[in-house]
Amino acid sequence: MVRLVACGIVSYLALGVALGQRSSIPELTQQQADSRTVLGVANEYLAAGAEALRLKEYDEGIRLTKLGLERPASPRDKSAALSNLCAAHAAINQPDAAIGYCTESLAINDANWRAYSNRAYAYYLKRMFDEADADLDVALTLNPSAKQMPQIRGMMNERRLRGRVTVEEHQ
Amino acid sequence: MLSKHAAVAVVIVLCAAAWQPASAARVDPLGTWSCVVWGHPDFGDERVLMSFAPQGVARLARIENVAVPSWSGLTPWITESRELRFGDPRTGRQYTADLRRENLGGTWRTLTATGGWWCAESDVEVIPESAEDRVRALPPVLPLVSATPRYPIQAIREAKQGRVVTCFLVDAAGLVVKPEIIELSDEVFREPILVALSRSRFEPRKSDSLRPSCRSYTFSLDRLAQHEIEFD
Repeated sequence: MVRLVACGIVSYLALGVALGQRSSIPELTQQQADSRTVLGVANEYLAAGAEALRLKEYDEGIRLTKLGLERPASPRDKSAALSNLCAAHAAINQPDAAIGYCTESLAINDANWRAYSNRAYAYYLKRMFDEADADLDVALTLNPSAKQMPQIRGMMNERRLRGRVTVEEHQ
Repeated sequence: MLSKHAAVAVVIVLCAAAWQPASAARVDPLGTWSCVVWGHPDFGDERVLMSFAPQGVARLARIENVAVPSWSGLTPWITESRELRFGDPRTGRQYTADLRRENLGGTWRTLTATGGWWCAESDVEVIPESAEDRVRALPPVLPLVSATPRYPIQAIREAKQGRVVTCFLVDAAGLVVKPEIIELSDEVFREPILVALSRSRFEPRKSDSLRPSCRSYTFSLDRLAQHEIEFD
């Protein structure tokens, strides 16, 4: 049986997972620049972990993804899986663990914009806005059209900027 | 069948009646106007009378300055492409007004400065001699409740700063009438300005005449220090 499986593992939902807990942030679509669909399953655990994360079953998603990482996988899939672990830990408010996984992911594939984006969100959770800005800049360079980066920057701006309105009467 | 045609004809007639070309002038400048002129960095705001007569005759009277006893001449006013233009040789200001607006007013510029002006129709024809009488003739519009617009959250998210200038008339009860946006740096700021204006009140006055007033709003963002940032 041939099954269509969103592969590359889940990188398509990485930040969607991370941001999905915030009701103010819309769920992200799968129509991303680097979403990939392939025939066949390279690593069942990684695919199942990705699906669990998509359903916001973070603990199960983390468990399955970790099992998948113990099995053979291509560097690209490994990088995506680590990025997903990063997103999942960010989603359950464990930014330190998230940053570790994203950094590991980037060590394997430093062109993975989702890993930069996920790590930026984790930095945001830790109020490390300068680090988050730096990661967002790189992510935007890699994928200027992604929606996630402006969303994260918007969330940071909400926290770090205070609006002031000055009124001048002309009489 | 006939009634269907009749209905279509009625709709066409109604549409034709409601439709006006976007470029149609709404304001006839002829007459005397009580105006606020703002934007000069040194002189501040001024209340003046402006008068536009046929054959391009235009004149202006300052009310605060007793040294200028009465009307002083302006360059002849002209209209071109629904725009009114004239100049003040004394100050070097070149005034323009978009006559498609609901009210007379617009912008002025010199070589080094820009500003705006806004007017209400006036019944003052003779300029009083004393400064007190002039102030009485053209009293300032004093705010009673000046509502501050909220900073739009979308603008904060997108780190947008900006400036809005709005002009309006104030009626006898002190309510804002016919607000118009003169300058708008970004559409995101329009709604909070109009809401704030609708909540603003000015000192009521016994006279029925409308009074012109303008307000500038500057939207700016301050970056908080790390320790000031709050999280849920």
